[in-house]
Amino acid sequence: MNQRPVFRPVQAEEIAGAFDEEGVEYLFIGKSGAILLGYPGTTQDVDIFPDRSPENGRRIIAALRKIGFEIGVELERDITRGKDFVQIKTGPFDVDLVFAPDGITSFVEAKARGLTEGVFHVANLRDIIASKRASGRQKDQIELPLLESFRAEYEKHHASPLRSAGDIAAKKSRSK
Amino acid sequence: MKQTDQQTEAAFREQCRRQMQRPLALRIKYGFNRVYKPVLDDVPWRSFDSMAEYREWCEKNLPEYLGYRRAK
Repeated sequence: MNQRPVFRPVQAEEIAGAFDEEGVEYLFIGKSGAILLGYPGTTQDVDIFPDRSPENGRRIIAALRKIGFEIGVELERDITRGKDFVQIKTGPFDVDLVFAPDGITSFVEAKARGLTEGVFHVANLRDIIASKRASGRQKDQIELPLLESFRAEYEKHHASPLRSAGDIAAKKSRSK
Repeated sequence: MKQTDQQTEAAFREQCRRQMQRPLALRIKYGFNRVYKPVLDDVPWRSFDSMAEYREWCEKNLPEYLGYRRAK
């Protein structure tokens, strides 16, 4: 498994294109989402937050096969079921399907706050940060201050302030 | 010469501004790479019923230096 081809930039566009062609409901999350928005970091895989439904699962499978992923019967079953976390390394690059990301409760709400960068649908930075904070992993804790600095710069250069589900809930509770 | 925290923060923010100005294709080119990760990359795929189960698997199976364990 350690002799793997180099990631080519066009592959990121291929996955977004295949998802759009198949009508997949999804958002890029994690560091890969932040990088698409301009975060000056690096990552090794593509993190996708898909809407969880059997139909969306079937669309994901069709899209991934289209761009060269091998999806066997068992993997197909787990994607269609929408298991919380599915990690796939059978294609031209690594994809993590995160159906239940830490710190984000609703795909529909996250999608409503999401951003579009070129052909990519990306979760808003506040959701990406909330998710990383909730994960509690060592590598995310190290990255959080940098992501917060990037968010501050991003929001200076983009019109409306981004709000995470947590921000919205906190505002609602303050106004009661 | 050692940078102060403020200088480091200012330099990073400047790096953010430059990166945001770069075309998307360049952000992708320099943002995505692949390095072999032991254990993690040794099977074609894996799945977990819950994120808690995934985190527990990471704790038990991945080398600490990969950073997937919970922060103390």
